[in-house]
Amino acid sequence: MPMTHDEFLLQMDEILDLPAGTLRGHERLEELPNWDSTSLITFIALAETNYDVYVSPGQIVTCSTVADLLRLAQSESSSS
Amino acid sequence: MASRGNRMEASMAPEATLQSEVLKALRFPIAVGDILRKRLVLKKELLKQTNLVPTRIAILGGSTTTEVKSMLELFLLAQGIEPAFYESGYNRYAEDVEFENPDLWNFKPNIVFLHTTWHNISEFPELLEAEVEVERRVRREMARFESLWEKIHAELGALIIQNNFDLPRLRPLGNLEASESFGSVNFVLRLNAEFAGYARSHSRFLINDILYLSVQVGQAAWFRNSYWYNFHMALSPTATVSLAHNLAAIVKSVYGKSKKCLVLDLDNTLWGGVIGDDGLHNLILGKDHPVGEAFLDFQRYVKGLKRRGVILAVCSKNDAENAKEGFSHPDSVLKLEDFSAFKANWNPKPETIREIATELNIGLDSIVFIDDNPAERALVAEQLPEVAVPNVGSDVSGFAEVLEHERFFEVDKVVQDDLSRSAYYSSNAQRSTCQARFSNYEEFLASLEMTAEIGAFLPVYLERITQLINKTNQFNLTTRRYTSGEVEAIAQDPAFITLYGRLADKFGDNGLVSVLIGQVSDETIQLDLWLMSCRVLKREMEFAMFDALVERCQARGISKIVGVYIPSKKNSMVAGHYASLGFSPMGGASEGRELWCYHVPPTYSPRTRYIRRTAEALLAAASAESASVPSEV
Repeated sequence: MPMTHDEFLLQMDEILDLPAGTLRGHERLEELPNWDSTSLITFIALAETNYDVYVSPGQIVTCSTVADLLRLAQSESSSS
Repeated sequence: MASRGNRMEASMAPEATLQSEVLKALRFPIAVGDILRKRLVLKKELLKQTNLVPTRIAILGGSTTTEVKSMLELFLLAQGIEPAFYESGYNRYAEDVEFENPDLWNFKPNIVFLHTTWHNISEFPELLEAEVEVERRVRREMARFESLWEKIHAELGALIIQNNFDLPRLRPLGNLEASESFGSVNFVLRLNAEFAGYARSHSRFLINDILYLSVQVGQAAWFRNSYWYNFHMALSPTATVSLAHNLAAIVKSVYGKSKKCLVLDLDNTLWGGVIGDDGLHNLILGKDHPVGEAFLDFQRYVKGLKRRGVILAVCSKNDAENAKEGFSHPDSVLKLEDFSAFKANWNPKPETIREIATELNIGLDSIVFIDDNPAERALVAEQLPEVAVPNVGSDVSGFAEVLEHERFFEVDKVVQDDLSRSAYYSSNAQRSTCQARFSNYEEFLASLEMTAEIGAFLPVYLERITQLINKTNQFNLTTRRYTSGEVEAIAQDPAFITLYGRLADKFGDNGLVSVLIGQVSDETIQLDLWLMSCRVLKREMEFAMFDALVERCQARGISKIVGVYIPSKKNSMVAGHYASLGFSPMGGASEGRELWCYHVPPTYSPRTRYIRRTAEALLAAASAESASVPSEV
């Protein structure tokens, strides 16, 4: 079963080494200190694991906020 | 497992410690998603450990290595090893070595890991190419790699860990790729055979078998187009975790941190059924029963571990006689004499495992405990966090697989001492019995008829010496760690006096048990390292080593021996070592480091009373010494 919005945010907290409950969704990716190539690859790998979809780096570049990432994973999931 | 009425509910077990919870994520069955997601949290937790062994690893990649580094760091930290990394640029593995990248040279790696895959094979055979030409390609490819390896060994002095090759993703020729000499699969297997041959004939060169790993992970999960084309990652994130786990096991073995002893439950672990209730003849064991065959296979696996030096012990809740009877089952591959310690009683298992560790004189952190009962596992894991307690489940058919995946007993080389280790621990029990018969300890020591072989480091012993250096914590004056490359360099450097010591007695050979390294400057030698295996504590082996050291000092005109003691959490037993040998405290000590001084007398009375030094050793030592000492000395 696809994860909820809150579950997704908690996972992103872990990926970025933030205390659980820190991210609300509106945060800009470029302002997050641990958002780097490794966390980007981790996001892609988790999208595959959790949503069974492949999200390309090109698609991620179009995302500005954490919530955009979730929308991307969900939209790819619904279109696959 | 216990008798049927004595089973403890898993839910009653206390909560495991945070540390165990952290490590659990890195143990079989590895949850790749969890590790990826919790990478930073895991790292932070693992860095809270104390007494981490530092190492310097250069990753020279034929593809992107950032993920490899990140995962390897986690698995190494979980083994108590704290790595510093150098990473080559993308696909710069050859150039960095060939053109002596100053960043790499200045980094001075202990280990160089060459992360190459089939993408880095420079020339595959042409279609229908003659066999002789294919062979030429093999030779050229080998020459290319060998030149890198030789330069790394010669100039960086580092241990090399080299991937062999995984298989190409596509097979345009189908099955012919495996059978034709020009087929890509055949070519990769030829190269892998050459790499393996090089590993067999060169020390300080180890293969990371990614061909096996790719089969284990599955080709489809091993390589993913998306990661290759977007990031030039030759391995998917899932495969990267598997690679890092395997690599960490190799590094762990290099640093002598592999486990030594497998402690086994009996009922429903080595045979099906409860011997105390069911009786010998109703045990499920043997080819006549599907589950019995699985127990038989597990026994065979355990016997194989024992043959290559893993110490076996039994920890069972049973009456001792009942428990022993189980090994008289006609289909039992394991026999009573395979076990160096045998404890069948009704005491809590953590208590019994402590007794086993004491009896065998090994640390709890050397032990792996296997039990089908989850409650017993939970109890041991909670009360003895140093003991590895894999979650083997309750189905015997999976036990060996879990042990394999965990890579507890990984070895970088099988040396003769490993093969005789089990015999040593068994004979140690006989020594203890013998000791009890004597009214005083001196009589006991005299009765052991001990002989020692003490000499300068010999090539044949370098692997064992490195192993001992990197795992000895208690009788270790400085706890300095050295790679095999460093040990080899020191062995050949006349500025050092090196000594190894082997000890045998009437019960058997204890193997190579003591190592000493001293750096000579004018008429002074400073002891950088002096250690001894706890196997031979209180046997006066340290006296025999000191006698040999003094002899060498006299022969080289050295008048002053400076002993260094660096206290650690584990080496308090040697705090009085230098004082007991007649050293005096000297100035120049700093916080965390004591210096002791001994003036070599012109005539010296040997300290050893009960150990006879063998003539062969004296000759070998003299010959090695004369070979390593420059003529002017």
